[in-house]
Amino acid sequence: MRRAVVDLLKAIRAPVAAIALTLAIGFVLVAAITDEPVRAYRDLLFANFDSLGNFALFLNRATPLTLIALGVIFSFRAGVFNVGGEGQLYAGAIAATVVGVFLSGLPAIVLFPLAVAAGILAGAFLGWIPAVLKVRLAVDEVVTTLMLNIIVLLFTSYLANQVIRDPTSYGAVSQMLPQKIWLPAFPGVPGATSGIIVAVLLSIVSWVALFRTEWGAQLRASGTNLRFARTIGVPADRRIITAMLLAGGFGGLAGTLYVLGIGHRFEQNFSPDYGLVGLTCALLARIHPIGALATALFYAMIINGAAYMQISTDVPRSLVDLLTGLLVLLMTARLGLRQRQG
Amino acid sequence: MAYISFLASVLEQSSPIMLAALAAMITLRANILNVAVEGMMLVGAFTAIAVGNASGSAALALLCALVAAIVMSQLLALMTLRFSADFIVAGLGINLLAAGGSLFALEWFYRSPGGLRPITFPDLWHIPAGALSWLPVLGPALEGQSIIVVLSFLAVPACFVFLYKTPTGYYLRASGEDEHAARSAGIDVARMKALALAISGLLAGLAGAQISMDKLHFFLPEMTSGRGFIGLAATLFSGGLPWTTAAAAVLFGFFGALGDRLQALDIPSQFVLMLPYLAAILGLTFARWRLHIRNRPARILKPQATSEPSGSHRADLEPS
Amino acid sequence: MTGPDEILHLSAIAKTFGEKVALRDVELSVRRGEVHVICGENGAGKSTLMNILAGIHQPSAGVIQLDGRKVEIASPIVASRLGIGMVHQHFTLVPSMTVAENVFLGRHLTRLGIFSDRQAMIAQAAALIERYNFGLDPRTPVRELSVGQRQRVEILKALAFDAKLLILDEPTAVLTPPEVDELIGVIDGLRSRGRTILFITHKLREVKAVSDRVTVLRHGKTISTHFTRDVSEADIARDMVGRDVFLVGRAGRPRTRAFGPTRLRLRHVAITNAAGRRLLDDASFEVRAGEIFGIAGVDGNGQTELSEVIAGFTDIQAGSIEFDGRDVTAVGVPGRQKAGLGFVPEDRLDRGLSVTMSVGENLAATNYALAGLTRHGFVRTDRVEAFTAGKIAEFDIRGAQPSTPAGSLSGGNMQKVVIARELNRDPPLLVVSQPTRGLDIGAAEFIYERIMAAADRGRAVLLISSELSEILALSDRIGVMYSGKLLRVLERSAADEVTIGALMNGSVGAVN
Repeated sequence: MRRAVVDLLKAIRAPVAAIALTLAIGFVLVAAITDEPVRAYRDLLFANFDSLGNFALFLNRATPLTLIALGVIFSFRAGVFNVGGEGQLYAGAIAATVVGVFLSGLPAIVLFPLAVAAGILAGAFLGWIPAVLKVRLAVDEVVTTLMLNIIVLLFTSYLANQVIRDPTSYGAVSQMLPQKIWLPAFPGVPGATSGIIVAVLLSIVSWVALFRTEWGAQLRASGTNLRFARTIGVPADRRIITAMLLAGGFGGLAGTLYVLGIGHRFEQNFSPDYGLVGLTCALLARIHPIGALATALFYAMIINGAAYMQISTDVPRSLVDLLTGLLVLLMTARLGLRQRQG
Repeated sequence: MAYISFLASVLEQSSPIMLAALAAMITLRANILNVAVEGMMLVGAFTAIAVGNASGSAALALLCALVAAIVMSQLLALMTLRFSADFIVAGLGINLLAAGGSLFALEWFYRSPGGLRPITFPDLWHIPAGALSWLPVLGPALEGQSIIVVLSFLAVPACFVFLYKTPTGYYLRASGEDEHAARSAGIDVARMKALALAISGLLAGLAGAQISMDKLHFFLPEMTSGRGFIGLAATLFSGGLPWTTAAAAVLFGFFGALGDRLQALDIPSQFVLMLPYLAAILGLTFARWRLHIRNRPARILKPQATSEPSGSHRADLEPS
Repeated sequence: MTGPDEILHLSAIAKTFGEKVALRDVELSVRRGEVHVICGENGAGKSTLMNILAGIHQPSAGVIQLDGRKVEIASPIVASRLGIGMVHQHFTLVPSMTVAENVFLGRHLTRLGIFSDRQAMIAQAAALIERYNFGLDPRTPVRELSVGQRQRVEILKALAFDAKLLILDEPTAVLTPPEVDELIGVIDGLRSRGRTILFITHKLREVKAVSDRVTVLRHGKTISTHFTRDVSEADIARDMVGRDVFLVGRAGRPRTRAFGPTRLRLRHVAITNAAGRRLLDDASFEVRAGEIFGIAGVDGNGQTELSEVIAGFTDIQAGSIEFDGRDVTAVGVPGRQKAGLGFVPEDRLDRGLSVTMSVGENLAATNYALAGLTRHGFVRTDRVEAFTAGKIAEFDIRGAQPSTPAGSLSGGNMQKVVIARELNRDPPLLVVSQPTRGLDIGAAEFIYERIMAAADRGRAVLLISSELSEILALSDRIGVMYSGKLLRVLERSAADEVTIGALMNGSVGAVN
């Protein structure tokens, strides 16, 4: 038991240090800007819990981040450097919206699962492309996922502008989804999506799948030493492709739950770079599903907290963007997560 | 003369993509997939407007843009080469830092989160009208282009000469191609990679300055709008070869100009704008596929396997 | 005997890596203008010695004298400044660059101080090529050269640095037989132009063909130095192997064993690489229950391909493979394991384990179903823990807890993890490659005991090793591989190190 605690402390030492260092740099900046740096930091970190409304927004922010981080974890554990979270998220969101808008005549009991399935499948498809190219032809997945992100963003921009656009509103915004397939609110917290329940459950399921099943052991073996995995009879190519299908599926689910539970429509700029922030959460959590839930909650807290901080103390909310950049830059220092082959 | 104005807009669109592509190419030759070109461009674009606004000097603005982008590149070099951070993650961190930092500066210092729009701004040097009238077609298209557009096309032969005609270029390529061989020849591989990043920063800074200084004279958050990635795509599509990379950059610039025209005609431009990225994926896939085919084991034409083993073999194979 | 004709003198050189002793007492005297071979088995300390001379390692004790002066070779740069040129087994060439560009990599000749002077470099390289008759075009990109030609480029690099003493580390390991002959010609040319050459090998035929004198190392000690013309291959082999190496093994045991049915049969198996070179050529043999079948051979003669073909990693292009009389040629890796294959790969870090995963997960990897470690696909952690603890105790895996990362163990203990995992299933057919590479005697003996015990239980064992002593100690029958071919299969009683050694060098004619 004591050893487990020591192991845990050892495991979280580096990410905690990176977060602490970044927050410290942030505090210096804040102190330079405002006379009330402590107030600013209190709001940054804790204003999320000041009201039920704030708390609801906090949960809404945490949901897509957690899901994307979980997807990233599956792909990284299988040795795929998937930076395609953003594209997978958008693919899921647009697919669910298109189904919801075009088939709005269907009864909710049919339409809801259909929209969810479409979102997940769209994300999974986007994970499948780089996975197959990597496994069959060793095409670098960083490049493919990066490029696919932009392609998907352009494609959704086309759909949102030309195909499912709400003609009454300004900008690339789709028509509203029929209310019958909206996700119910989190019990007791009006305005909060119940998607967070899904995210929490899935982080536990992911942990069990990765660390408590033979399938998970095989997936991780494929990710840590591919030739070893093949030697002991693991169908490694299949595991890698499955992992990327899951990664894409999680991203797609994140987008789906966003449009069904939070936005109720597709907006072209709905994501403040959830893909990259989700990747950050996963890496900060040392690609551990439960840890990723914690880092995603932390990130949701400071992203929303930044807005409260700006209102109360005049510190720009983009401080968080700046700090995220710093954190990502520092995050992998001295513990290179992947040896790039070139 | 619609085609001349279209050609001019192709040249103008190609310029930042060309510079970004060369920036990514130089690092790719040192075996670094530089995803931070976009961020370094943004820093260049922002610094150019901020310094031009404060000093009123276009030359100083340009110089500072280059210095700022190089500083970013060396920050990346420090984290990756000295503190062994992952190149991709740290590179994405540079992009976030550039976006977040410029936005932060806008909100805090300029109190204008929407962008920085100086009322007056010093102009870059442009090719005067009529100066190239002796040159058919290309001449009129080049007239009125900024000094940076000219530099971006001169950068192609410069990069070629650097990589293939100077010792440092050789050592840089050796460091990228076979680190072990380079090291055993006494080459400081880390220094070569830092140098590649610095050159990359210089070119990206130039690209950023072109975007904000040439015609617009203002800075907007996200104003590089993925052109760093288009440049990366051009380089990957061309396998890091200077002339091919330049050609791909012009092609992608053409797509960009075409996209603008289509948009003006109310035709969805998104599919045209996708082409560079699709080309990068397809180009890379095709290159890997060719390698895959080439490395397939040769067929055994004459199946020796059907021949009988020699007598001595057979005797030894009998169970004792 | 430090004389004026002596270029290099080593006395009492020792080198330890942590607790491992690589060299204990090396004496060496090299005369100016001679070709001096250093000879010894794998693990005898040849590479360590060469790395000390090349400035890569520093000796723990002893004195190096060069031209009669005591020197310290602090780095590879210092070594080349002292006139020591090293040609490594693994080439350090940039494939896309030409011969001349590679020769001058890191010290290009320049024009105007800025540009590389390609013409001058080509001219200088051409002059060197001409002088030593290397038969290369300085303008050819290295990627278009054959392995033998690339090696000459490496030698050229050392010569361009004006190396007085040229060290060739196992230069023939990567060459085809005709290329070896060409290399021997090159070395003769170098000697006749006054260069001194230190040549490392464990191939006896080359010793006789190339050298003036030969020094034999064994277990990090100098055993003997002879004029090559005064000794036979058998004399050198005896010094290399040493009787005392047969610590354990079959040879001394009562041989009242009967073999069972054929467990593994290969018929005319062949594979080629992309260049059309035959890596495995018409390999046919069988291994019976209760038998240890040893495959001897110098590394790189098709043993790796043979083991991978049997394990099912590589598709074969001709022939067939049978387990227990059943054709498994088209069966994949998992299927072959189900059919009773246990496999210990030659490189534990490459295929044997995942260094970042725990010892427990590495041990459990192929045993989840068999040892009842899962229920409905879910891992039962308590059982894995108990299973792992049991294996750690049984195989005396030191420094291991079930949760420690496998990578933190020593090489010997990692190897024990692999062996323990594969033996747990008690597979009817066990393929073991280089089982004791890099291990100390104690760990090696332990692993020998386990392999022999498996055979005594009636398992069929295929043992692939480049350690001749290991093959001789354990095997019931011995096949020798050379250049992708299984040259001959001998009964243990008909095999001795001289016979096998000759076969390992491809000379079938030497034995009848």
